[in-house]
Amino acid sequence: MIIKVKQEWLLLTAFVVLALPPMQQFLEQSMVTHMLVQIPVLAIIGWMLGKKLPENWKSKITLWNRWGITGMVLAVIIMTYWMLPRALDAAISEWHFELVKFVTVPIMGIALSLSWPLLHPIAQGVLKLEFWATFMRLGWLYLDLPDRLCANYLLGDQRILGQLLLLGGSAWAVAWTLRVMFGTRIVKT
Amino acid sequence: MSSTAVASGKVEYTDSENRNALFAVKAHLIAGLSVFLLMMLGGLTMRAAQGTWIEIGVDLFYQIMTVHGVGVVGAAMIASTGVQWHFLRKYVRLSNAIFWTNFFIFLTGVVMILGSIFLGGYGGAWTFLYPLPAISMGAWSTGAAAVFQLGLLIIGVGFLILYLDFGRAILARYGSLARSLGLTMLFGKEPVDPAHPKAVVASTMVLIVNFLGIAAGAVVLVMGLINLYNPEFQPDAMLMKNLIYFFGHVVINATIYASVIAVYELLPRYTGRPWKTNKVFLAAWFAIVFMVMGVYPHHLLMDFPMPAWAMITAQVLSFGSGIPVLVVTGYGALMLVYRSGIKWSTTTKLLFLSMFGWAAGVIPAILDAMVTINRVFHNTLWVPGHFHFYLLLGLLPMIIGFTYHLAGEGDRSEQPKATDSLGFYAYLIGAFMTSMVFLASGANSIPRRWAVHMEEWVTFAQVGTIAAALVVLGTLLFTLRAIFILPGAANPR
Repeated sequence: MIIKVKQEWLLLTAFVVLALPPMQQFLEQSMVTHMLVQIPVLAIIGWMLGKKLPENWKSKITLWNRWGITGMVLAVIIMTYWMLPRALDAAISEWHFELVKFVTVPIMGIALSLSWPLLHPIAQGVLKLEFWATFMRLGWLYLDLPDRLCANYLLGDQRILGQLLLLGGSAWAVAWTLRVMFGTRIVKT
Repeated sequence: MSSTAVASGKVEYTDSENRNALFAVKAHLIAGLSVFLLMMLGGLTMRAAQGTWIEIGVDLFYQIMTVHGVGVVGAAMIASTGVQWHFLRKYVRLSNAIFWTNFFIFLTGVVMILGSIFLGGYGGAWTFLYPLPAISMGAWSTGAAAVFQLGLLIIGVGFLILYLDFGRAILARYGSLARSLGLTMLFGKEPVDPAHPKAVVASTMVLIVNFLGIAAGAVVLVMGLINLYNPEFQPDAMLMKNLIYFFGHVVINATIYASVIAVYELLPRYTGRPWKTNKVFLAAWFAIVFMVMGVYPHHLLMDFPMPAWAMITAQVLSFGSGIPVLVVTGYGALMLVYRSGIKWSTTTKLLFLSMFGWAAGVIPAILDAMVTINRVFHNTLWVPGHFHFYLLLGLLPMIIGFTYHLAGEGDRSEQPKATDSLGFYAYLIGAFMTSMVFLASGANSIPRRWAVHMEEWVTFAQVGTIAAALVVLGTLLFTLRAIFILPGAANPR
């Protein structure tokens, strides 16, 4: 028997599971899972939540989000903040920063899902390039820097994250090249 | 949407879009030619100073040298983009707003660069070769070097935005860059379409190489900026030099590939013969994509830590890069013109001259790309000899020829005036002399980038000054025509 569950409940469950101390501590014990699993999943939950918002909410927000600019600015500000090593450290050490993370990152996801379709295709291209460049830039930085950036994580962890970011960025570049050069879609969006 | 694609394969725009587009192209051409003229005056000043006919301070010489180098590349980019955009928009739907955006971003960057040079005193050449911008020994401030690099960065960002629009429009029409480049026809996946637009093929090539080139430039500029304000951050100097020359070589080389679209589009009109797309043409342009990006290490042949394979590849590709150019475009243009009964207007004379300049201009480069010759010639005036030949007799005639086409000759009713003929021959003789004097100076081991010349070299510089004055005269006449006649000219049908 297949039980039909509303997607909103699934999202809420996923959010609660992420917030539960065992899962929270498990994901935050490594810089890799903190940055590449917990934060992206929170953002994806926000993105999906944004899609499920009631239409009258969306139309009210759209009035304040012409061409998706307001939402994208908000998303970029939140993203930039959570890329700071100091912010990650604070989230681990102090509960109120952790709370802020669990609130703001899904908000970033919501802002992205509401704003991205409204953006001009060229602005989408610029932002995609910048996201990709951020992967490569941070990857290179984490590999190249001789010092730890986060007080809570070891240098080895930072290096692994750097390698994974470069790997992810390279895979993204290959997928893009195939798409643009030959029209081959690896991931159907 | 106000414009629609029609069955003929060409995109139709509304009248107001077309008027705005034509105005934008003219603005690009006038801005480009005006900057070229100013840069030529700078070049004339430097040659006159080397020839001891005028005296300028050494600081000012290097500032002029810097603005001359960066300004010519910038003018070439903005003017060639005007040519390219004018023709490409016939086949894919391009945005006027993005085109204008890039233009104004470009002007902002130009103001920043001029300020950094003439107010801030930056004189470290366009190459901003790490770590020179940070160690001026008091000649310029860190701020001046930073503003120079920021100006370049901003210009690069503007062009990346424009290329995103090119990419979006080409993908919307053709589905993939392989298809717009004609690879599906080249490799037999689709039948060869003789009417496949050359403007699209060339623009795809320019889009690919310039996107990567400018991205590399952005990376190296940001690394340089970080180093300026945080000297403890010391990137690998060899990596920086590779990125700089990849960026510089690709960007300036791509200007001629963007401008040659004018030859492909206009020569058939003036000769009354079609220039059909075939597999040889497509193969040549496919090869050029890799050659333009692969030859840049020929700028680094004197850097012994470079891997041998990169040097060998650069040398071999430098020999080969002339072949697609000479065979496909030069031979194609000759066949098109031969016994066609072409009427020689200033437009056609310039376009035909550009074939000579492009084909012959690569020869000094091929010679200099040989390791044994480069060891002797690299830091001599041979190198400016090559790129002045290539740009003055190859690139600029394409751009000016297109300008004349737009300024009235395109309607076939307008005849060349005496001033046009004077301009053409002054320019032709001056440009050829300028290039040959540089090449002869290089062959006589006269170094480049020296503000003060030894007594034995002065005669070369003086002959070079006369040649440069002729180039300035010709360009002045061309630019005046562009400024006074182009704005009011109707779009040639």
